[in-house]
Amino acid sequence: MNVATSFPHITEAHSAGIPSAEQILESLPRSVLVVGSEGVVTYANRASMVSLAAVVGSEMRDLFPGCVLSLATMTGAPSCLLISRDGEKFDAGIAVLGAGQFLIDLRPSLDARTADMQGDLDELTGLTKRNGLLKHLSSALCSGPASSIAVHCLDLDRFKMINDTLGHAVGDLLLKKVADRLTAACHKDDIVARLGGDEFVVLQRNVEEGTAETLASRIVDLIGRTYVIHGHTINIGASVGVAIGANALQDCDLLRNGDLALYEAKKAGRGRYRMFESGMDALLFARREMEIDLRRALALKQFKLNYQPFINVTTNRVDGFEALLRWEHPVKGNIPPLSFISLAEENGLIVKIGEWVMRTACIEAMSWPGEMIVAVNVSPLQFKADTLLDTVATALKRSGLPAHRLEIEITEGALLDDTDNVIQTLNSLRALGVKISMDDFGTGYSSLSYLQKFPFNKIKIDRSFVAGDDADSEAILRSIASLGTSLGMAITAEGVETAEQLARIRGERCTHVQGYFTGRPMGTDQIPVFLARNDLDERI
Amino acid sequence: MAASMYRLVYYSRNHIAHDQALFASNIQKILEKSRINNQRDEITGALLFNAGCFAQVLEGPLDKVEAAFERIQQDERHGDVSLLALDPISRRSFPNWAMGFIGTSDIQAKRFAGIGASTGFDPSRLSGDEIHALLRDLAIEEEAA
Ligand SMILES: Cc1cc2nc3c(=O)[nH]c(=O)nc-3n(C[C@H](O)[C@H](O)[C@H](O)COP(=O)(O)O)c2cc1C
Repeated sequence: MNVATSFPHITEAHSAGIPSAEQILESLPRSVLVVGSEGVVTYANRASMVSLAAVVGSEMRDLFPGCVLSLATMTGAPSCLLISRDGEKFDAGIAVLGAGQFLIDLRPSLDARTADMQGDLDELTGLTKRNGLLKHLSSALCSGPASSIAVHCLDLDRFKMINDTLGHAVGDLLLKKVADRLTAACHKDDIVARLGGDEFVVLQRNVEEGTAETLASRIVDLIGRTYVIHGHTINIGASVGVAIGANALQDCDLLRNGDLALYEAKKAGRGRYRMFESGMDALLFARREMEIDLRRALALKQFKLNYQPFINVTTNRVDGFEALLRWEHPVKGNIPPLSFISLAEENGLIVKIGEWVMRTACIEAMSWPGEMIVAVNVSPLQFKADTLLDTVATALKRSGLPAHRLEIEITEGALLDDTDNVIQTLNSLRALGVKISMDDFGTGYSSLSYLQKFPFNKIKIDRSFVAGDDADSEAILRSIASLGTSLGMAITAEGVETAEQLARIRGERCTHVQGYFTGRPMGTDQIPVFLARNDLDERI
Repeated sequence: MAASMYRLVYYSRNHIAHDQALFASNIQKILEKSRINNQRDEITGALLFNAGCFAQVLEGPLDKVEAAFERIQQDERHGDVSLLALDPISRRSFPNWAMGFIGTSDIQAKRFAGIGASTGFDPSRLSGDEIHALLRDLAIEEEAA
């Protein structure tokens, strides 16, 4: 037998009477293997030779047919279930030995379920915890490709808000009810686990064509139904990501795929489920890459502002310019804001970027002739960050731009949450002398009540109403414009691209227009030339 | 003093197949179960079915009403459950009904006609108070009949 070579240094060092580590391993009544990362056995103790017929050179997939988890995955779990050719079950403890070698300690298995009963349950909900879930998962995957399984990863939408507003006691009761509903939605053989917080995972067994989708939509429906707790009516939603282990021979990490799908479900608007698709990891990878680039973009000065003129249709003069953010990526070229703003909002970078925009716009506007206004977009997240007022005041002071030449554009989204605080900030901004306008009006919630809540200087009507030449768009355009003017607000029609549209706008009480027809976005250095040209007068 | 009394009103969409016999037997089961559970839980109320919808009033101790509502929420026999009202009350409107079912007799047919739509009663157009008042009036008529 040729096992001693694996442990060449250990034997001699010990004095007689104390058995060597190797002797201990060889006499150990249970099986121990050392396996390389390719799954080939490099050491097998005597017990493993007897019970598994393992030898150096054996392959894991022959010793444990049906096991599809990779060793690297299994080391994450406290132990996982392996089933031998003879159907014997082992709780395998796996340790990394270094140099691509793994130690596998094979203990005869207690039933996975009894292990659960021994206190491995979530105290609050009585559900299985992460460890238990991983055990069930590996045992389900090892039971072979005959029956496929699905993993449903779910996240509660708005749970944090409920917890914050109604308190942890109610939040805990809510989690219990969620756990109840999940259990009710599932089959007896399925496993419902709580991974902590408002993160749950369902392991669905015996999945057949369409049954994973059915369960996922049932979960979304059931969790989204109204709860009544201590006299409070509570509404939350569930986003679910589903990964199916149909391809049991592939070494796929179901939980990770479920999470990727969950991420997509949340991105698609929450309160829905998404099935994992193989492109999702690439998507996430691209997003991660973009995030890394975005974090560097400020420092590397890859952002630039362009300015698009808005024209006062009563005087036919340029009143000012809206600052538009551009990202000039060294490799990918110009990346339009639509492709990175949502990412920046997701990871909070928008606050820093927003500060840069505000500062830069104020400084650059100082070099423009006359009393031109500069309009700057502000993200709803900048209101949440609570530094907006400070940012604006500092930008004005540093640049020397008079406050009345700065116009801040907000969207309806900013007024959605925490409206009172936002309005307070708006009032403080107004007290500085800054103008405030409502951007993209008509696209979001279009609540006219927002127009009452704060006396905006201007409403910018979304381009879709300008582009649409149907009767509906026109009626909407006209009524927003007349409502706005009656409230004393200026009205900008956005996205004006043709002379015909401009003529139409003039008839609709709009006070300003902005669009390709009256001026494309330009660099700050082109502004003096643009203003000096007089062909604008001829066109408008 | 007993725990504070609440009234809960909701309506929902029927998910039981449009098969008369199947529907009748399901309603029978729901009512039987409800009467047993509700008696135990000191819950009274009324259940109405029409035009593919259920509307129900539950009144009783808050914790019991909440627990019953949670069970009802999980029931696959209906969906789109909209909670219309949840208010403290000083008196029960259906003191004698562990769960009255309204939806078969002639009186309702007339009553629904009175409400308007030819397709029948559409609870989704009514407020919690209106449904409550409607069910209460129907219950009184039913008892008198
Ligand atoms: C429209 C509708 C109304 C119901 N009303 C009640 C009710 O008032 N009380 C009740 O206990 N169950 C009611 N149920 C039945 C519950 O959904 C659930 O099946 C039952 O409470 C389970 O009771 P158990 O846990 O004692 O088996 C109703 C079901 C439906 C579909």
